[in-house]
Amino acid sequence: MITYLFYFLSFLAIMFALMVVLSKNPIHSVLYLVLTFFAIAGHYVLLNAQFLAAVHIIVYAGAIMVLFLFVIMLLNLNKETEPHKSIWLKASAAVASGLLLLVLVGSLRNAELITAANPYNPSIGLIENLGQTLFHEFLLPFEVASILLLGAMVGAVMLGKKNIK
Amino acid sequence: MTALILLSALGVIALLAEIFSFKKLLFPVVVLGLITTFVLNLVDWNTDKSWYGMMRAFSSVLIGITTLWFIMAEGFFKEESSLTDHFALILFALVGGVVMVSYTNMTMLFLGIEILSIPMYVLAASKKDDVASNEAGFKYLILGAFSTGFLLFGITLIYGATASFDLPVIADFISSHNGAVPSMFYAGILLMLIAMVFKVSAVPFHFWAPDVYQGAPTSVTAFMATIVKTAAFAAFLRLFASTFAGAGSIWIDVLWVIAALTLLVGNITAVIQTSTKRMLAYSSIAHAGYMLLALIALNQFTQSSVLFYSLAYSIGSIASFGVLSIVTASRGNDTTEAFNGLAKTNPLLAVAMTVALLSLAGIPPTAGFFAKYYIFNAAFLSGYGWLVLIAILASLIGVYYYFRIIIAMFFKESNGNASIEVTVNHKLMFIITILLTIALGLFPDFIIRLL
Repeated sequence: MITYLFYFLSFLAIMFALMVVLSKNPIHSVLYLVLTFFAIAGHYVLLNAQFLAAVHIIVYAGAIMVLFLFVIMLLNLNKETEPHKSIWLKASAAVASGLLLLVLVGSLRNAELITAANPYNPSIGLIENLGQTLFHEFLLPFEVASILLLGAMVGAVMLGKKNIK
Repeated sequence: MTALILLSALGVIALLAEIFSFKKLLFPVVVLGLITTFVLNLVDWNTDKSWYGMMRAFSSVLIGITTLWFIMAEGFFKEESSLTDHFALILFALVGGVVMVSYTNMTMLFLGIEILSIPMYVLAASKKDDVASNEAGFKYLILGAFSTGFLLFGITLIYGATASFDLPVIADFISSHNGAVPSMFYAGILLMLIAMVFKVSAVPFHFWAPDVYQGAPTSVTAFMATIVKTAAFAAFLRLFASTFAGAGSIWIDVLWVIAALTLLVGNITAVIQTSTKRMLAYSSIAHAGYMLLALIALNQFTQSSVLFYSLAYSIGSIASFGVLSIVTASRGNDTTEAFNGLAKTNPLLAVAMTVALLSLAGIPPTAGFFAKYYIFNAAFLSGYGWLVLIAILASLIGVYYYFRIIIAMFFKESNGNASIEVTVNHKLMFIITILLTIALGLFPDFIIRLL
């Protein structure tokens, strides 16, 4: 049952991701991206990571996608404005990404199955366990991330505000 | 750890300066804070050479060079409206650099790279009314985000194979598998290699570098060419020369080609540049190639030779970018002609530039000569004779374009160019760089023995 669900969700995720790239209209791309995120959140639930699934939907599908839509609307990108690229550029991009795909598929094809440290722990993705890991094992990265956010915020404000002459 | 806390606190203090209006005091406060951090960093030097010694040595280089950079970039902080932001962003970037030289965990590597990069994206675009600066920031952001994607994908695959983010565990994983690690791990290494090579701007992942270096304000370019490159190389070293050393067979051949291409393309393209800033950008790409040589060598000289090279190269770059920004500001352009007759009008600037360029070109008795010597020696001992030959040819090409500026300064007429006013701080900074370059060239053992 879970295996079929996994294949179904994977199929959805890959198909919607392809649609993001292939659709001509930027708004459609964003909406397909939302669907992709939902499919990936489904994977998180399958992996018992309920909290991650919820956060993923709230942050990515909710906040960031709304931001994307706003930017597209404000920039008025709702039409095909992409410049035409030369055939050589397209061909080389296709060859390069095809090779990357080949390397990745080739390396993952006969990957060993990893056995999890604790095979079935239904509460592994709950906030309590996540918090324990975050504030115990990953305390320093967690604290250092605050500098990243502060730096990004200062940078955004600096770029956004007008020069006072 | 001390350095991390002190530098972050200094960044927050810089932000508070706006509220409590001690902007005038901020410059001395920050420079003093950096010197304090530098001294504290040296005081509790750990004798454990493999991890902590390397971390101390590289973070000392980063903090010391940033101190010099602050003195050089005094003019960059004159703009009243976002002065404190500039201070804070540079200090946060330095925090990222310190994280990048001292991580033992992939999450810290990722955070370090991002903390260093995001302020750099913003600072590259900090000349808001200049289209070239905006383009630089945008290009850097898009391509940087792209390379971060590769980094994360690589980390994911490696985590998938080893079930750990910790570098020692990953190194153990390689040695316990006796070289026959799963192919997923190899793919992870290659993807991380792409990301790291992008960060050090090696060919063929260098296309962003000339545009970003040219478009960004000259002071920011100097920061990118020195601090960012040193931190990226320290991170590279930690990842590939220590952790992935056991799986060397998979990435050394790739890196061999990348290093050879970087040396040749960087140096040859630098020759045909008319803008000195763009020329220095290409030369900075070429210098990444020399440092890659030490990484490929993968022997006991790798760490010390990269440390010495990055120190010599950073001092040379700070001085040359400093002179370049002063000359560009007063003469209006950055072609080779702008340097005509500088030796007669401003002897100190000309001497500082000459020493810096000689060091970058690798002429004895400057620091750059021994830096190149140690790297070539390390590569040669590991049996990479052909690569060393390419590197020597490439540095001969380098001599040509560096000497073009030296000749312009000493043997061309100034065409009535007036003498340029130089502040006392800048004079002091140039004297320090001249002395350091020659001192490191005369007593290279002092640094080499550290690691």
